[in-house]
Amino acid sequence: MISIVRKFIHLPRFIIGALLLLAGSCSRIDHKQSALDPKGLVAQNQYDIFMLSVWITIFLFCAVGGCLLYVLWRYRAKTAEEAKEIPSQSHGNSMVETGLIVVSAIVLVILAVPTLQGIVLLNRVPDANDAESLEKLGLDRSQIDGAITVNVTGKRFFWVFEYPQYGIVTANELVFPASKAVRINLRTEDVIHSFWVPKLAGKMDLMPGQENFMWFIADQQKIMGESDAATSMPAVHDGTMRAKVFAKQKFTDEFEPVGGLFYGQCAEFCGNSHAYMSFRALAQTDEDFDSWVKRFQNAQNPNLQTKSYDPQSSYPKGSLVSFADPKLGSGANREFRSIRQTSPGQSPQLNPGAWEKAHSDDYEQGKQLFASLQCVQCHAVNRTGLGAKGPNLTLYGLRTSLAAGWMRNDEESLSKWLKNSNEIKFGNLMWNGEGVDDRHPLRNLENDDEKVNQLIAYLLGQS
Amino acid sequence: MLIYSDNPDPTFIEPSNLQIAMATESIKYLAPDADNKAKTQVFPRPGQHTTGLVDWLTTIDHKKIGLMYGLTALFFLIIGGIEALLIRSQLWDHNMAVLTNREYNQMFTMHGTTMVFLVIMPLSAAFFNFIMPLQIGARDVAFPRMNALSLWCFVGGGIILNLSWFFTGGSPAIGWFGYAPLTDTRFAEVIGDMGPDFWIFSLQILGVASLLASFNFITTIINMRAPGMTMMRLPVFTWMTLIVSFLIILAFPAITIALVELMFDRTYGTNFYDFLEGGKPHLWQHLFWIFGHPEVYILILPAMGIVSEVIPVFSRKPLFGYGLIVFSGAIIGFMGFAVWSHHMFTTGMGVVATSAFAMLTMLIAIPTGVKIFNWIGTMWGGRIRFDTPMLFALGFITMFMIGGFTGIMHSSVPIDAQHQDSYFVVAHFHYVLIGGALFGLFCGFYFWLPKLTGRMMSEKVGKFVFTLMFLGFNLTFFPMHYLGMIGQPRRTHTYNEGHGFETWNQIATVGAFILGVGIAIGVLQFINSFFNKKLKPAGKNPWDARTLEWTLSSPVKEYNFARTPIIKARDQAWENNYGPKENHSEKEPLDDHGVHMPDRSWWPLITALGLLGLAIGMLFHRTIDPSGELVRDYTYPIIAGAVAILGMIMWALEGPGGYHLFPKEDEE
Repeated sequence: MISIVRKFIHLPRFIIGALLLLAGSCSRIDHKQSALDPKGLVAQNQYDIFMLSVWITIFLFCAVGGCLLYVLWRYRAKTAEEAKEIPSQSHGNSMVETGLIVVSAIVLVILAVPTLQGIVLLNRVPDANDAESLEKLGLDRSQIDGAITVNVTGKRFFWVFEYPQYGIVTANELVFPASKAVRINLRTEDVIHSFWVPKLAGKMDLMPGQENFMWFIADQQKIMGESDAATSMPAVHDGTMRAKVFAKQKFTDEFEPVGGLFYGQCAEFCGNSHAYMSFRALAQTDEDFDSWVKRFQNAQNPNLQTKSYDPQSSYPKGSLVSFADPKLGSGANREFRSIRQTSPGQSPQLNPGAWEKAHSDDYEQGKQLFASLQCVQCHAVNRTGLGAKGPNLTLYGLRTSLAAGWMRNDEESLSKWLKNSNEIKFGNLMWNGEGVDDRHPLRNLENDDEKVNQLIAYLLGQS
Repeated sequence: MLIYSDNPDPTFIEPSNLQIAMATESIKYLAPDADNKAKTQVFPRPGQHTTGLVDWLTTIDHKKIGLMYGLTALFFLIIGGIEALLIRSQLWDHNMAVLTNREYNQMFTMHGTTMVFLVIMPLSAAFFNFIMPLQIGARDVAFPRMNALSLWCFVGGGIILNLSWFFTGGSPAIGWFGYAPLTDTRFAEVIGDMGPDFWIFSLQILGVASLLASFNFITTIINMRAPGMTMMRLPVFTWMTLIVSFLIILAFPAITIALVELMFDRTYGTNFYDFLEGGKPHLWQHLFWIFGHPEVYILILPAMGIVSEVIPVFSRKPLFGYGLIVFSGAIIGFMGFAVWSHHMFTTGMGVVATSAFAMLTMLIAIPTGVKIFNWIGTMWGGRIRFDTPMLFALGFITMFMIGGFTGIMHSSVPIDAQHQDSYFVVAHFHYVLIGGALFGLFCGFYFWLPKLTGRMMSEKVGKFVFTLMFLGFNLTFFPMHYLGMIGQPRRTHTYNEGHGFETWNQIATVGAFILGVGIAIGVLQFINSFFNKKLKPAGKNPWDARTLEWTLSSPVKEYNFARTPIIKARDQAWENNYGPKENHSEKEPLDDHGVHMPDRSWWPLITALGLLGLAIGMLFHRTIDPSGELVRDYTYPIIAGAVAILGMIMWALEGPGGYHLFPKEDEE
């Protein structure tokens, strides 16, 4: 029995030693979705309260656990005779009891006070007129006044991001200005989801029949660190962000390649593909954000879509028109760009020297396919398309990820996705949605490399 | 009347001549060959000498029923454990294909539902059944046939839940708390998915089982205590039985209603939870968690009761602060109804509600802490032995402490905003449910199985089981705190490469298998102790324990007590061995009519079969006729329901029956 006791006492030491060894090798805290690496004010507040609770817990564990270990050691029956002794049969001590209850209550109060403040902080954007609290939070008034609003709609299994102040809609990648507060309105039309981007803020659920609210503001200092904005928050609108991310690492590398790229995931079980419903949030400088908004506004403006060639008009250099190109197929149009000033009647057919093809053949074929293969039924390109069944694909070529943050948005992954999305996201709605069966053209792309490449050219060409 | 001592217990009233005459009269009425015994031609009550399968199917003896509860629950522990190991295998590495996404979702739903409703609750019921009557000096529970009905309903509920594997859609893939509107037929990912329906009906039948058992235990404890067994002399385990039974009665109606409403939404097109028609998904969450939070206290208080019995025994001191431990158990139970929305902190309830629930949740940590302080206080100044039951009790204290601390972390809403639905929560509740409840129940097995079987289990094997379980459990769940903080959400069937989840998931999987092996060896050891004749005989009180059941022989005789004990103190067995003479228990006289034992009965089993048939009939009452119309055919549910009602009527009419046993005064 004594040897067993010795073994029991040594056991925790052995376990702790092994754990420390393991912990040392894998104890980084700045993983992509780590709540231990806050880069936003709300997440920082939550992290601080968490660390307070960790210290309280360590204190309690050492105090109570230490007491337990002491008692086990001091009052263990060392011999068989001792094991038969009858110690004094005391029944309790009210003073000790009361004292311990009071101490517990005090410890809880220490946690309760910041908790209440934190609840208010995560639910309400600080008042721009309240200079005192703004100062305590380290915020400037302009960060609140210039706040942007994003209406997030959760669907199975992707995210719609609508910017009502600008009239634009995108999906799965939330671009936002790093210096401003971001108000998030959360809605869903199907089941419960939850919007969680750990480094910026905790989560809030998307409840059907109710609009929930949360907000965050990024910490620019933390994002930039030692470097400058261009390095840590490359622009999205001109593809620099995408290029930088792709250049710096494999998709599967563990630590984010640029400071301004944040990872989020749905955090309420919503069905078969719950695990695949992630998203990204991309921090931008004010200028880059404005440029991005502008590009989207232009792309999704129905008045700015390319019009057909009008023989009556003359076009300045650099104009885009839509005109027939028989080489692509009968009745097929493509976009032409004028390379010099044209006069009325100088169409791309009659004056090919005045016009260049705006996009490659593959791109234009892909555009046709996007309609003929019925992609347009679910995906909106160059329009806001709120209520569409699938993610909005406007300016898709600027995105860094595919399939709700699941894969890199490059040719290889897109090819795999288009050929058989079911193998990647089993049961996904593109492959298994209403009206999609084995006769649907989308399910027959597996062996059709040509069509797939054309679609890829079109989609990635949206940039 | 020679049996009375010089200082008779003032609570005992000497029987008058009238009472003695009445006792004699009752012999005539109850004698087996009396003419006025109700004779039932259909399913007569099996008598004293029934053996074999009929004995087990018709028994109403609380000891046998407790045993069956325990064995069935251990069977489901293995099933739920296999489900868990499949889950852990799927999460070994990123993008694994051990299970498809839907299979994984079914797996965690079944694992959670099985472990909560088919393992921990029935294991607690097993101990309540077997031990509580012995601890209060009763011959059985207040309603033995209803006790059997509870058992068979539990088995029925387990059958219904696992039948779901074989029908359209397979098992439910909705999570063990089945949030609306995911459970709406509109969102089913397999057309005609019946999984949630099986889930609903199984939980309803399990609810019936639990409610009936609770009525039984409360009545037993209030009414059938031996003379002198005042409430404040009750062992803590019996107190926990009482408190948990009240919790069940008050909590189950909420989930019953929630499930009825869900069933109506799914089957009859009502709109309780359908937001498009004005219903509220929030409603489901509130109803579920008003049940769900007291449910977790239902899961943990029995284990706390067990540990409160074991620690004093192996420290050779009485429980420190008995009154406060009982009171804190009651407070935890009561306050458990005030904190349910801490499961809903991220659902947008508003600042006021969220703050209120956060504060109340923090408060509930105080009575829980009191218990831990008191257990340590019990050991202080004692003579501590480290036999297997004590190891499990100590494991309980440490693991529950860790689980309790992470619970305090969650009670703070800003922290919970990150923790909710991440692996941090998974770590928390497994610490309190395995490290707490399961370790406590295993402690109970190692402590009390010798009383059941009459044999001592091997200490070496027991300590080995403890080591494997302790090591495996911590290896599995401690890393999950870290995984949750670095962003792994729960209920995700896989994770992508590049988040850094692989290493610690692999460690957790290895730990899970170690834990599984430990549990399997433990379960085998329990079963083995029933058959292995080479084990040492236990005798009456192998642990030199303190409470009344340890005054009985091992295994306990069919009639429990040869003479009803007259209780003089708390920890009666200890007082008998070591206390002053005035604290020694005495025995009631038995007169000549012996101990009246009830016959067995078929009707609880038949009634349970009727209820099972009713549920299955309701599950399958819909068909589509050739013209495409929905046809509802209630023939089978009605027949089964009629069987159940008939069962209850025959039950009422079958008469007491019974036989008498005439044990000698010390033959117990």
